[in-house]
Amino acid sequence: MGNEHSVDGGESPVRRAIRTVRRNQWTGLVVNITPSAFWLTVFFLIPLGVMFYYSFGQRGAFGEVLLGPGNVGLQQYKLFFVPQDASILQAIWWTISWMVDSVVPFELGLAAGEPTPYVQLTIKSIAYGLVTTLVSLAIGYPTAYYIAHVAPARYQSLLLVLVILPFWASYLVRVYAIQILLARNSILMNALGVLPFFEAGQSLMNTRFAVLLGLTYIWIPFMILPVYASIEQIDFTLKEAAMDLGADRFEAFRRVIFPLSMPGVVAGSILVFIPTTGAYVIPELLGGTQSQMIGNFIANQFGSAGNWPLGSAGSFILMGIMLAAIAIYQRYGEGDLA
Amino acid sequence: MSLADGPSFLQRVRRARSRVFEYGTVALAFQALLVYLFLYVPIAVVIALSFNDSRHAVVWQGLTTEWYEALLAGETIARVNPDAAFQSLVYSIEIAAVTVLVSAVFGTMLAFALDRYDFPGKGLFVGLVYMPIIIPSIVMGISLLLFFNIVGMTLGIQTAMIAHIAFGISFVAVVVAARLQSFDQTLEEAAMDLGANELETFRYVTFPVIKPGVIAGSLLAFAMSFDDFVVTFFVIGRDNTLPIFFFSMVRQGISPGVNVIASLILIVTLLVVALAQWIEGPVW
Repeated sequence: MGNEHSVDGGESPVRRAIRTVRRNQWTGLVVNITPSAFWLTVFFLIPLGVMFYYSFGQRGAFGEVLLGPGNVGLQQYKLFFVPQDASILQAIWWTISWMVDSVVPFELGLAAGEPTPYVQLTIKSIAYGLVTTLVSLAIGYPTAYYIAHVAPARYQSLLLVLVILPFWASYLVRVYAIQILLARNSILMNALGVLPFFEAGQSLMNTRFAVLLGLTYIWIPFMILPVYASIEQIDFTLKEAAMDLGADRFEAFRRVIFPLSMPGVVAGSILVFIPTTGAYVIPELLGGTQSQMIGNFIANQFGSAGNWPLGSAGSFILMGIMLAAIAIYQRYGEGDLA
Repeated sequence: MSLADGPSFLQRVRRARSRVFEYGTVALAFQALLVYLFLYVPIAVVIALSFNDSRHAVVWQGLTTEWYEALLAGETIARVNPDAAFQSLVYSIEIAAVTVLVSAVFGTMLAFALDRYDFPGKGLFVGLVYMPIIIPSIVMGISLLLFFNIVGMTLGIQTAMIAHIAFGISFVAVVVAARLQSFDQTLEEAAMDLGANELETFRYVTFPVIKPGVIAGSLLAFAMSFDDFVVTFFVIGRDNTLPIFFFSMVRQGISPGVNVIASLILIVTLLVVALAQWIEGPVW
């Protein structure tokens, strides 16, 4: 210490101060974190806060946003969730019975009323997300299994790159590609004419099928990759052990391999569910008026419908769904996102 | 159970199931082939149709390169104006370039802060860093639109850059942080012991090691910025980027001109990715 002090002795106070700051353990943190923290706070967090505040506002007579003391309240959320002249309990019951009614094939007539169109739209969007996730899993799991375990080792990385490559190709162009395939008289639609129940040359555009196909097409790589990563790490001697102990191939897969691949399945499901539920472009381009999702509803409120507070409330309800999905993931999945 | 009884129903089911699974590898290979077809046939059809000798339909009528020739010569083909397309391409590249420059620097610094330091509220801050990746783009785009409105900023390519940097930082930070996790910090200590200061240590020891991570993160940020439609759509005002130009064309319907633009976008992006793969190895 004495030595060091004598070396320092020749320095000016300014240089000594700089040295002290440079040696301070927090300097690196402050210097490294400040630009990003500034940017993310000002251009991400504050805009979200503004939007959150707007969601408590009210629309004026000319489409302007009223945020005065008399206007701020939960009215947009009430408008979203609770039908007019209904109590909150009625709204909940109507929502549940509406969901049950749309699942069972016959008319039950459980409740006196229906949930608001906004709630119906939200549930429909979640259903789109869930169906896309399940279809991607059903198609993606065998493929991931093939790449990780069955395919010759030297082709593995090539097969993986081929799964990733479409992800790098332009999103809009790929949606357009689906549009071309489903259009009237397209190559695919004419080829499908060989099927007994399908009339050649018709169009599948602007249907629910088109939206689901588009969503699956775009997001399936996000299912295959995590599942592949999971299966690739499994020690397959465990499968042999299970079969030595009397399990057949199916049982060994169901009881040993599949549970071990669960982290990948859960991660893939969340990676597919979140973007598909919040989709905007795909229903806009492939779906008709009947196939709109909550993303289109939000955009409409800021565009033609001109009700910014309701659109803001819708945005935060969509964010709530995402957060719920992530919470479920962290409860049942393993490890961090990404 | 006597020998004469033969296998029970359940046993027979299990044997049949086992036989199916024995041939499972063939079925799996076939299924994987179908998935690859599913991924690539639509792309191939777009490229094929851009050479289709038909003005309206999506039906194949023979090979031609007239659409490419006409567009490259500057003629407007079925509402697609090549000058407008080129202008939007220039804007796209400008925005992506600025986004990559800023978010590569800020994102790498952020990754260091997250990797090297513990501070109160770190968990929340990490959540904030992940949020621009996870949050639906439409929410991010519209909230920025509201914000720019309130602050009174004119919408244009500068607001698009600001928005793209906000998510670019996150992508770079996540990729670089992953690379830093496997970094041996004793190397830095050794450099310092040998007399290097902080900047020299970074320049000669740390950066060469994390360089692939920074490049991969930058490529990801470039691709995300270049390809982004939803966020840009809300914050760019009257200007066009290539995806927005393309979207407005697609809205008006399928046409040979759109097919040509689509094919050019596809081929150029895939070539860039292939080049990146070739230089740096896998780029995700």
